[in-house]
Amino acid sequence: MFDHGGAMYEDGSQGASRGARVEASALTRRFGRHLALDALSLSIPPGETFALLGANGAGKTTFIRLVIGYLVPSAGRVTVDGHSPDVDAQAVHARVGYVAETSRLYPDLRVRSSLRFAARIHGLSGAAADAAVDRALARFGLGGVAHRLIGNLSKGFQQRVSLAQGILHDPPLVVADEPTSGLDPLQQAEVREVFRDLAGRCTVLLCTHDLGEARALATRVGVLRQGRLVALGAPADVLGPDLSLELFRSAEVAAP
Amino acid sequence: MNGLRALVRKELAVLFGSPMAYLTLALVGLVTALLFFDHLRVYNQILFVYTSNATGGFELGTLPERVNLQDQVFLPLMEQLTLALIGIVPLVTMRVFAEERARGTEELLLTSLLSPWQIVLGKFAATFFFIALMLTSSLVYPATSVLHAGLGVHHLAAVWLGLLSLGFTLAGVGLACSAFSSNQILAAVSAYAVAFVFYDLAWLQPFVGERAAQVLDALSLQPRFAGFAEGIVSLADLAFFAGVVAISLTLARLALDVVRVR
Repeated sequence: MFDHGGAMYEDGSQGASRGARVEASALTRRFGRHLALDALSLSIPPGETFALLGANGAGKTTFIRLVIGYLVPSAGRVTVDGHSPDVDAQAVHARVGYVAETSRLYPDLRVRSSLRFAARIHGLSGAAADAAVDRALARFGLGGVAHRLIGNLSKGFQQRVSLAQGILHDPPLVVADEPTSGLDPLQQAEVREVFRDLAGRCTVLLCTHDLGEARALATRVGVLRQGRLVALGAPADVLGPDLSLELFRSAEVAAP
Repeated sequence: MNGLRALVRKELAVLFGSPMAYLTLALVGLVTALLFFDHLRVYNQILFVYTSNATGGFELGTLPERVNLQDQVFLPLMEQLTLALIGIVPLVTMRVFAEERARGTEELLLTSLLSPWQIVLGKFAATFFFIALMLTSSLVYPATSVLHAGLGVHHLAAVWLGLLSLGFTLAGVGLACSAFSSNQILAAVSAYAVAFVFYDLAWLQPFVGERAAQVLDALSLQPRFAGFAEGIVSLADLAFFAGVVAISLTLARLALDVVRVR
């Protein structure tokens, strides 16, 4: 349904039909004296669903914000399909769909207006924007609440809106920051189904501290501890029954 | 342009989606009406006393130099309206950037295809539209006094231009303050501080030299507006207001970068 099939970007390049490549090289971010991310090097190939795990304050959200260009690195670099957010933010933003936590929505907008706004600021216009909004409403079961204010929706529906906003423009890279946080088990299952559906269609960078989610969805996982990548590999290898909790226990640090 | 239009529409939808916009418009209408009718009441009393032999006329020394609608109603109303603008505009602008940052929706904007300049211009355009709407609706009463006093449409146009210029300038200052904060109260307080300090710097003139006093006068908002209230459109005053708006735009644009590097 969300076959982006090699979308053409404003810079004239053809998007990879199965996702974008993310490369981080010695990526470092400081907040004052706090080192949030310490020389992280990582390569996520097109089409992979990569889960980044770690305790609160381990540097997951900082990494995501560097990838989408919301933060500037203190040192090192990160690229999406070879484009650095610092040099060519538009090329990166054209390739990224960002799924934020539920609270990062406009509560005073109606669902359809919010999706239409998301479509338009991601370069879709006219009939293409309307078609993308209709597809997203149908795909996420939002048709019945299309004219309701987002602020009046349940958290589950709000997260559906957030997901719909993030992927309605068919980006080759979907970046999701704790997409199931605060949802009930049924809602979590719905969100995971969406990510299962995306698998292989695009690259997914998933930030979570839910080990079950990482096991179920990711083709590879990385574990961050105090800004350092301390484990990387297939979920079965990294998240063994004995290792997983130990990884978190020793990773617990204060948030910046 | 498509994205910019969408942002302006979104800003207006958010603004009119809350009671704040309607309350602000109602408040401005009410304040203007009360002030206008109060000045009109005083003007009628003066006129009555002035023309009445039975009441003994004015006491010595209290006779106004001129008794007309412009001096007794229109000019004082305009001066009070500028103060009302200082009180109201920061309430409109405080949420524009600060609320996005506090909610985290700023991330959605900054990771879209909108450039930072487009984000700033879109938010300024939507706010300016609201300010223009607010001032136009509040101009009904001053318009009646202008037209009854025989001052003419050109005078009314000059006043509207002056109020718009002052309103946009105050909005620019408020938006720049909002762009540097995630706290709406802090954004409003800092906008009030800047607006009140620069409203009229004449009080500082006794403490400084003649040249500095001229600079202070040139930087004050109130004297810049006074000419428009008299029906005089000065290019220098328009350029001053436009300059402050341009500086505010640039500061708001810088604030978006500050968030990314701090």
